Amino acid sequence: MKLDPAFIWTAFIELLSAIPTTLEIAGVSVLCGILIGTAVALVRIYRVPVLHPIASAYVTFIRGTPMLTHLLLILFGLPMLIDAVAESLGIPFRSVSIPMIGFVYISFSITEGAYMSEVVRSGMLAVNRGQIEAAYAVGMTTPQALRRIVFPQAFAAALPNLSNSAIGMLHATTLAFAASVVDINAKAQIVAATNWKFFEAYLAAALLFWGLTFLIERLTALLEKRINSYNRGGVA
Amino acid sequence: MIRLTQIRKSFGRNEVLKGIDLTVRKGEVVAILGPSGSGKTTLLRCINYLERPSDGEIEIGELRVKCKHPSKQEIHRLRGKSAMVFQQYNLFKHKTAAENVMEGLVVVQKVPKEEARKRSVELLEKVGLGAKLDAYPSQLSGGQQQRVGIARALALNPEVILFDEPTSALDPELVGEVLAVIRKIAKEGITMIIVTHEMNFAQEVANRVVFMDQGAVVEEGAPNELFRSPKEERTRQFLQRMTPEAVYSI
Repeated sequence: MKLDPAFIWTAFIELLSAIPTTLEIAGVSVLCGILIGTAVALVRIYRVPVLHPIASAYVTFIRGTPMLTHLLLILFGLPMLIDAVAESLGIPFRSVSIPMIGFVYISFSITEGAYMSEVVRSGMLAVNRGQIEAAYAVGMTTPQALRRIVFPQAFAAALPNLSNSAIGMLHATTLAFAASVVDINAKAQIVAATNWKFFEAYLAAALLFWGLTFLIERLTALLEKRINSYNRGGVA
Repeated sequence: MIRLTQIRKSFGRNEVLKGIDLTVRKGEVVAILGPSGSGKTTLLRCINYLERPSDGEIEIGELRVKCKHPSKQEIHRLRGKSAMVFQQYNLFKHKTAAENVMEGLVVVQKVPKEEARKRSVELLEKVGLGAKLDAYPSQLSGGQQQRVGIARALALNPEVILFDEPTSALDPELVGEVLAVIRKIAKEGITMIIVTHEMNFAQEVANRVVFMDQGAVVEEGAPNELFRSPKEERTRQFLQRMTPEAVYSI
């Protein structure tokens, strides 16, 4: 077998059609992950009774088990649960009508939420205690103080980790093939299988992922420059 | 008027405030002095509930709060009646000087933005920072930051401004500019409670001086009286140590 450089290009073009799926999965999971993560981080920082141990258990369990396992558990467990609930309530809805990618969104969001909670928590802990005290002293409520004072600074502090997590998620979307969702990597496999040129196809996938990652990196750098201008003595 | 009645505060088994009574009349400037660990900063922080008193009663203007089980709303209203100037300035790092002063007006008092901006500019000019409106705290010196902090407190038009060692974190040559601003606003009849180590300043600017030690008020009185002829032995010892002449006179 010999390398076919031209096929790398051919495969690359074919793979472009899978970009939306990959970006959708990554985007939805990161966004939901940030929401879940923020909620979990707040529960843990404020030690909310009842919820606090649950949140801690969620984080240790999810981080203690592989992402592929989460996907498989959701894929096989959630339909059973949904059908059982629907049946007992007498609703005609059945889980087969849910598209596979829906389970991917749910599973990856749950995974990402656990990791994001630590990113958000570290960001919030990086904000000086004096900041929230000053917010209280001018008369703000806790939600106002969080929204106006703590979150903007926490976001700036967490941005490098946030971008790290987002890149990790982008690459982790390749696991979606287990739910027969065609992402970039699965597409590469399909393209390769038609004419047995696996190396070329996967190389094209690698280059495509690299390109997307590069975009995220540039975007982060741009964002960092904008929102961190107050820290470096530059005016935005 | 502000009236504190039997304010107590414990950290675990350590009782740092042992039932403090203090009344501050409208327009009065009260300086609280005392050695480190005497509870003076804790007392100040209890007034706006940054520290939760274990017991006692706080009265500011019309509002009376029993400290044992205050509602969230009572705490919120209490904070709305006071403003604080911090030892470490605690300016909002991600906001410019003008935005720092506007923040409370816009978010808490719901003043329209243009009006808040106007008031913020006025106040920053008053503290001598008319040229630094759009500077971030990281671009300002300690003295400048503290003056923004004072403008931020003034903007809220509170019943009382609480100063928590406003010059302790400053380089010696920057202390003067901050004290000058405090002196200026003291003359305008704003009620102030100042925790400080600046003896001369306290003597000059305060109407009344309160000396605290080990969580209790040892002595209080007019500055001239208290500094010249303290009644309590503990006050005398403290003043002697804090006044350099007495230590280094040959």
